[in-house]
Amino acid sequence: MNFFEEYPGYPNYEKAAIHDEAHGKVVRKKLWMVFWIMLTITIVELIIGSQFEFSEINKIYTFIFLTVIKAFFIVWVFMHLGDEKRAMKYAIIAPYTLFIFYLAFMCITEGVYSKVIRDALVTVVLHQ
Amino acid sequence: MSNQATLSLRKDWDGGVSPFGVSYGKMFMWFFLVSDALTFSSLLCAYGFMRHKFAGDWAVPNNVFTHFPFLEGKNLPLAYVGFMTFDLIMSSVTMVLAVEAGHRLNRKQVAMWLFLTIIGGLIFVGSQCWEWYHFITGEETHQVYRDYWMNGKHIIDPHFQGANLIVNAYTQLPTFGDFFFCITGFHGFHVFSGVVINIIMLIMVLNGVMDKRGHYEMIEKAGLYWHFVDLVWVFVFTFFYLL
Repeated sequence: MNFFEEYPGYPNYEKAAIHDEAHGKVVRKKLWMVFWIMLTITIVELIIGSQFEFSEINKIYTFIFLTVIKAFFIVWVFMHLGDEKRAMKYAIIAPYTLFIFYLAFMCITEGVYSKVIRDALVTVVLHQ
Repeated sequence: MSNQATLSLRKDWDGGVSPFGVSYGKMFMWFFLVSDALTFSSLLCAYGFMRHKFAGDWAVPNNVFTHFPFLEGKNLPLAYVGFMTFDLIMSSVTMVLAVEAGHRLNRKQVAMWLFLTIIGGLIFVGSQCWEWYHFITGEETHQVYRDYWMNGKHIIDPHFQGANLIVNAYTQLPTFGDFFFCITGFHGFHVFSGVVINIIMLIMVLNGVMDKRGHYEMIEKAGLYWHFVDLVWVFVFTFFYLL
């Protein structure tokens, strides 16, 4: 006997997203919109990357900002995380964000530290 | 968080309803993707760490990735990587359209979009092979003096070109080549396995397995994996090629 026949009141989450033709049209329009936005961002990134001479720090922050926008669109629209329940969104986003900020913080801090140490060592070796 | 939101969150966890409201398979696909995302983040963070440490000695990507197929010898910085990014975004769109067609239980459209996604994935894997080939063999106009140890032998090569895990012609640091092979290789293998998963899905769709089940959620799960691969590439593209 099928599980859902045995428990008739149990919600079938696998069929929750099924929709009709009219709603499909709305969804597809949104998807193509997101595609054009992402394509524009990529082209802007390429032009900035290969043509302009930015100061290093401005360039880094511009690219990271544009990348995070693209990542948001992929996760929220293409992966349908925006359509999930609130608890599901938090369960996915919160732990990851927490870990990644910690990891990036540690790497940047330690990277500066090891560069300082390396430069100091080079200076010592050169002065001997 | 607004009062309304707190209330609805409390209602989610008060019992009687599923707090996540998704099927078992989809939830665990998400959890797998979070752990896989952490793997890639640690790789990229390690890359950022080494790059920051050796700032100034690191290779400039604009001077390394300048090739384009059929336009040999021309200086086109980042053009091919741009094409690869476009290809992956495009295949991401066809995948999400396959998922949407699955929500309408339209078998023909699912098969068509899945097929286009597979084509896009194969183009990407092929492009990466091409790029690895050019990275490894190098070009004759860019020969440098390199002095290194390999297989217990001391090698002095005044005309070294290309790259391997021990030495490369783009910078003095072998770390640059190591990270290139490690990160793009790891990502490329994900794309490859994504293509294999998509091919299995296509066969299942064509055999009518999904119609028998009454829903196309497997396509959605395969789509989650495929979009994740695209998501990773967005970050690899930024941190490895643009910065």
